[in-house]
Amino acid sequence: MTTVALGLVKEVAVAARAPRFLYLHWPFGHALGEPGNIVQQRTVLHDMLSMAVSAPRPGLVVDLPYRWRREKYEPVLDWKAPSEAVVSALSLQTHPNEMRAAA
Amino acid sequence: MKSVAEKLLTPDRELGTGKSHNGPVRTRTGWLYRLLGRWITLPSTSGEIISEHDGPVRTRAGRLNEVWARWFTGSRLGAAVGHWASRIISLPQLRRLATGEIPWTPLRKPISDCTVVLLTTGGVHLRTDRPFNLNGDSTFRVIPKNAHPGELAISHQAYDRTDALQDINLVFPIERLRELEAEHIIGRFADHHYGFGLMGSAKKLMPSIKEVARRISESGVDLALLVPA
Repeated sequence: MTTVALGLVKEVAVAARAPRFLYLHWPFGHALGEPGNIVQQRTVLHDMLSMAVSAPRPGLVVDLPYRWRREKYEPVLDWKAPSEAVVSALSLQTHPNEMRAAA
Repeated sequence: MKSVAEKLLTPDRELGTGKSHNGPVRTRTGWLYRLLGRWITLPSTSGEIISEHDGPVRTRAGRLNEVWARWFTGSRLGAAVGHWASRIISLPQLRRLATGEIPWTPLRKPISDCTVVLLTTGGVHLRTDRPFNLNGDSTFRVIPKNAHPGELAISHQAYDRTDALQDINLVFPIERLRELEAEHIIGRFADHHYGFGLMGSAKKLMPSIKEVARRISESGVDLALLVPA
């Protein structure tokens, strides 16, 4: 079974050896964002699903770039395509050939 | 015979174990115990469920615990202390327990064919279920896929639940995943999902984690999404 973990404390996920991990700089109790902000919540879920598809090897940590309460979120138009945030974060950590193999 | 101090400090009845739970738990306790229980979460005061609106309900924690939780959640310094505390508590344990290769199961089908299960450590459970012990609980609760937010409760004291009570999806995105299933973005949203509470000992959690992992893999789930508090 494939797992994707969301987390608010980075070191913990690294120590737990999570296979796929997305890190958010948000306050405790707000893993998916602000109350009632459906577009924001769907953005984070899209990132999680993208991570499940695109992470090429275990132990990669993606630092999601969203600032707390200072971000404008656009609705996800194409759920089949992996999210921009995850792809660009992964491309910094992985070799280009690895990315091609995963895609 | 019990001494006076013992009588005052011992609850007459511990919170029931294994029984289903409806409404506030009334326990006959000493006045000192009740007074202390208002300020810090004690075993017998942690069972009371409070309903504020037609959303999820929360289990009452001590007032001081609530102050802590708000500080951890709402301020920069509090968040830094919260991060520090969770590192101090969990890093040595995790380093001991999680050794060897990182487990790896690549996804073998498109997301639109996958069955997805949700796990949360935000203390979420059905309000008819037994609440988590706020001071540490290694058990888990099953949450059916069709649960309405008003049927859920949060029993956790290490984060400010104000926003999560307004919108349960912040710690347990059950409504969002039901939408994704209806829109055929994911193949299927699994029938049962799992909630965990606050637990300081990773080792004591292992039996529950193994049981949940067994249930999930037997139910044909392809993808598990883990959401923290």
